[in-house]
Amino acid sequence: MNDRIVLDNVSRFYGEVLGVNRVTLSVPPGITSLVGPNGSGKTTLMNLITGLVRPTRGSIQVLGISPTDPEKLFRVCGYATQFDSFPRGMTGFEFISSYLRLSGMSHDDCQRTTAFAIGRVNLGEAAHRKIAGYSKGMRQRIKLAQAIAHDPRVLVLDEPLNGLDPLVRAETIALFREFAAEGRHVIVSSHILHEVDTISDQVILLSNGYVVAEGKIHGVREEMREHPMQVIIRCTRANLLASRVFEQDHVVEVRLHADGGGLLVKTRDADRFYKALNHLALDGVGIESVAPADDNVNSLYEYLIGGEESTR
Amino acid sequence: MTGQWFSQIGLVIRLEMRKTFFSRRGLWVYLLALAPVLIFLGHSLSEISNRKERQEMNAAHPVSTEALRSIQRGASLEEVIEKVGEPFNKVEFHRPNINIDVYQYTDGESVFQFQFQDSHLRAINEQDRDTIPKDSLIFAGVFQFFYLRLAIFFGCVGVFTNLFRGEMLDKSLHFYLLTPIRREILAIGKYLAGLIATVTIFCTSTFLQLAALSLHFTGSEVSDYLAGGGWGHVASYLGVTAAACLGYGSIFLAAGLLFKNPIIPAATVLVWEGMNMFLPAALKKVSVIFYLQSLSPVVAPPDAKMPVLEKLLVTAAEPVPAAWAVLGLLTLTILVLAIAARKARKLEINYSTD
Repeated sequence: MNDRIVLDNVSRFYGEVLGVNRVTLSVPPGITSLVGPNGSGKTTLMNLITGLVRPTRGSIQVLGISPTDPEKLFRVCGYATQFDSFPRGMTGFEFISSYLRLSGMSHDDCQRTTAFAIGRVNLGEAAHRKIAGYSKGMRQRIKLAQAIAHDPRVLVLDEPLNGLDPLVRAETIALFREFAAEGRHVIVSSHILHEVDTISDQVILLSNGYVVAEGKIHGVREEMREHPMQVIIRCTRANLLASRVFEQDHVVEVRLHADGGGLLVKTRDADRFYKALNHLALDGVGIESVAPADDNVNSLYEYLIGGEESTR
Repeated sequence: MTGQWFSQIGLVIRLEMRKTFFSRRGLWVYLLALAPVLIFLGHSLSEISNRKERQEMNAAHPVSTEALRSIQRGASLEEVIEKVGEPFNKVEFHRPNINIDVYQYTDGESVFQFQFQDSHLRAINEQDRDTIPKDSLIFAGVFQFFYLRLAIFFGCVGVFTNLFRGEMLDKSLHFYLLTPIRREILAIGKYLAGLIATVTIFCTSTFLQLAALSLHFTGSEVSDYLAGGGWGHVASYLGVTAAACLGYGSIFLAAGLLFKNPIIPAATVLVWEGMNMFLPAALKKVSVIFYLQSLSPVVAPPDAKMPVLEKLLVTAAEPVPAAWAVLGLLTLTILVLAIAARKARKLEINYSTD
């Protein structure tokens, strides 16, 4: 269990206000996205994992280390917070090198590692400028550089894609993937659901301080039996396919596309549906494409938390 | 591990030093420290100017100290003029049936005022020039009642409460809390940074105050004073200044960690330290000022204008020997720092409510 982040019945209250309540999680390595509306407890959960706040109840272990022991925790963990403020008067280079020096690195190693970390987030040219003069995107990147500089096994990133332009965003996502591919933890909170969808190995959906779902997106979606799976099929003989599909007892609804070139199917058993579709295809229906319509974070969010923020 | 802690403390000190020495927020600490230097400098410059004036008067109306001191009350105006000549200044008052004449003489150092009533000497007033023993009492008073109790006190409030609370307000404290550093080590590093800054600022000021005060004495007077225990006084004052920063620093570091608004604990400590003289002997020892006064080389003269009733309330606690005073102050400091370190260990980042 030492490669996991484990939260056992963790609650955190700010006076009368609930931060998170009764959270029990065992997070495996890979990219884990925390998803939820504002005030759902994402940042509190990240602060709890990194020891910036203490649980009112319950216990937390990060790779077997208690967050109450920062001396050990921050040797394996890097955290890019949402706080957009920095020690006064520092340049980007000083910000990272001070951090590494405090981590116990020698002066020479520190210079080299700082330059490497800053290079990884493409801030080389601005490294010796004061952070106070950085743009929002540059500040995001310097925070990311700080979090990754000491090569941590656990990377916790609070809204790391905010303020980044599309190119940098893609590079940053590639960096997360690289970390995850090496068997490390990358815990990301984000409001941008389509990006969460593409980068996450697993998601944790939070609402009002409670974990409402967790696991791999497909797995979570399959467990939500009250919401039939939606599948979009583009085909040549849509009317025929619609009638054949509707004969299946697990299919609850079929809608023909307006152009007559496809249909939307709602089924309670996706596996059986895909098997049946194979047989139908053999019967002469020309199927061009089949794609799940709601097997994504956006749909999970909409079904579990509500639609008001799902488009963000 | 211990080696790494020392290295981390060194790094925290280095990072903090720039903030404590050069922050715009701390400018008033420098002004507070320099205020007594300016007061003593002003005093010395005025004394130098007065002496020059007296010497000029003496050159115009030469008279010796011995001749002036030989004049006795009851002498007639003519006898006085015969002995010491014409004064450099003469003032006359006329009231019904009474004529008062005031004659001023100077030997170049002191001013003698002879007050005649109906041409007979009724009173002699000798205004001595400042001497080092006299000025050292003035310095002791300013040092103990203004410098220790107010300047260093509020300077330490400004520097030490900001070490944590200031970063909470700037929302930048998380920089340290995301590093693999024990929070207790962070607290110690920040405390030492504050201590270095305040000791540098206030000890420099103490030294400059003494230098400013000695400016109006002659070189030989100053040399004699320094040779006769003066260096010991200077060292003691510098030591007491550093000890004040040590003690008050620990209290205000803890206040910055324990309270969201450190002004309230600062005011409470100010009142506690201020009423120290009225406290029972045992309670006196739970204060910084008691040990600082025990360490001060010159006892400040009591306030002559203090009402009798107030004097009755003052309890005299025997000043403790220097070694005990240092030990007492260190014990107090370590106790308060232990509380601060304990609080730092449980420190949370919650900028929205701070």
